[in-house]
Amino acid sequence: MSTEKVIELREVQQRFHARGTPDGYLTAVADASFRLDAEPPQVVSLVGQSGSGKSTIARNVLGLQKPTAGTITYGGKDIFKLNRTEYDEYRRNVQPVFQDPYSIFNPFYRVDRVLWKAVKKFSLASTREAGEALIEESLQAVSLDPGRVLGRYPHQLSGGQRQRIMLARIHMLRPAFVIADEPVSMLDAQIRKLFLDILLDFQREHGMTTLFITHDLSTVYYLGGQVMVITKGEIVERGPVAEVMHTPSHPYTRLLLDSIPQPDPDARWTTRITVNESAATPPTDTATEATPII
Amino acid sequence: MSEETVLEVSGLEVVYSTSKGDVKAVEELDLSVRRGEILGIAGESGSGKSTLAVALLRLLKPPGKVTAGSAIFHRKGGSPVDLLKVRGEELRVLRWSALSYLPQGSMNSLNPVMRVEDQFKDVILEHAPERKETLADLIARLLDQVGLEPRVARMYPHELSGGMKQRVLMAICVALEPDLVIADEPTTALDVTIQRVILQSLADLRHDFGVTLMVISHDMGVHAQLADRVAVMYEGRLVEVGDVHQIFKDPQHDYTRQLIDSIPRLGRRAS
Repeated sequence: MSTEKVIELREVQQRFHARGTPDGYLTAVADASFRLDAEPPQVVSLVGQSGSGKSTIARNVLGLQKPTAGTITYGGKDIFKLNRTEYDEYRRNVQPVFQDPYSIFNPFYRVDRVLWKAVKKFSLASTREAGEALIEESLQAVSLDPGRVLGRYPHQLSGGQRQRIMLARIHMLRPAFVIADEPVSMLDAQIRKLFLDILLDFQREHGMTTLFITHDLSTVYYLGGQVMVITKGEIVERGPVAEVMHTPSHPYTRLLLDSIPQPDPDARWTTRITVNESAATPPTDTATEATPII
Repeated sequence: MSEETVLEVSGLEVVYSTSKGDVKAVEELDLSVRRGEILGIAGESGSGKSTLAVALLRLLKPPGKVTAGSAIFHRKGGSPVDLLKVRGEELRVLRWSALSYLPQGSMNSLNPVMRVEDQFKDVILEHAPERKETLADLIARLLDQVGLEPRVARMYPHELSGGMKQRVLMAICVALEPDLVIADEPTTALDVTIQRVILQSLADLRHDFGVTLMVISHDMGVHAQLADRVAVMYEGRLVEVGDVHQIFKDPQHDYTRQLIDSIPRLGRRAS
């Protein structure tokens, strides 16, 4: 592939019309600048509370939402000005995993379709047999038994199985980047760990760089790598996970770390906090923001 | 905290009938809840915590059924009743006014086409029609208790964040000053700062109004921060009940110890 695999955000700002705010706008992302390199493969977590703008950044990076100001470039080119071929290449190299393992599937089609669509769209196999072999291999790579999931409808699979089908799709495509928006928040602890381990495997074995968006600090700690802390649409702290968590420099990072309930009844919180939850904040993590059906 | 008992559960057994026979979800469970305390119910998923709650609230759906036991509920100014036996009108009167429920994912239990104030009205006027005159003040005061502004009353659920909806539900739960509030996973799926605010509000409700709370959570951190006593469930049985300090410092049962050890902490990776 010709272009250099780097995603770069420069002073990205995203505003939405909103009732009840002083100027009629809500600034979801105030000023976000960072770069994601495919080499070396890495995990970069973006952590913040709901309404902090983290999901909006994911939508910006995926090209689903054009920012109000600032630029997002891939290999030096603005991703909203790519031609057809370039855009296809971008989409192939930057793959999403969304939060809700229920809403991404069209309930009327068997789950196979999600995988076959990828095979056809990106010409991954020349024959039906080769396609089947590829699908089976990818399902096995995410610890799914092809015989037990192929031919089934989405409602016949658990949330964890559906999320792993999305990982199998990524395994087939081998993108340079995975944009994972709260992929484990609806999974229970055991499945969550399995999912994260697969993601770390992809990084090691297939050289994928992941932008991992979450509100859960223990997940960030488990993944390691780099972390960026976002609040009110602004990235306030960034660095290696261990460093940020052990010696946080921004007050907001300290607040986040301090708010993890410690399993020690003698170490109860002695201070009170208030969280500024503006009533005008659009619910970011709910169905109102439709997840595209793949 | 008084030694007076609000709820006395004994010998509770709940089964789910399946085509492969009955599965016992709760077995030989004895538990008492003291007035004014915060009792934490801990345990992993599938241990029977939620089944216990819905059985006590009489919201258990088939194929689940209570096959044995009693749950004697002492309400203020009323004679003791067995929650597992009350029927019809008697049960309807108890709900909200003496016993209320904050369900798991309760941000989804508000009616999406009603303003917040109308949802309060629904509950309050049904059980205490004499409060009609003072309703507006009461709603404002209830919202304030959980740290919400009075203007929230005029809003629709979609205008609120998950944490705010959760707090609206908490305010509705205590509106009629019930004897007991059962909260099922009140902070699951909320992020840490919002979780902390919710836990703060729950502690306030007890501190300011003497509400008795039964808080179900799989998160031992939540119990350590909030509970007075903790009951640990495993495979449908109660394995240990004790003061929160004793549970964490000197667990008597192996499973309790494992549960505490399995908490992921920053500074070491979960295994």
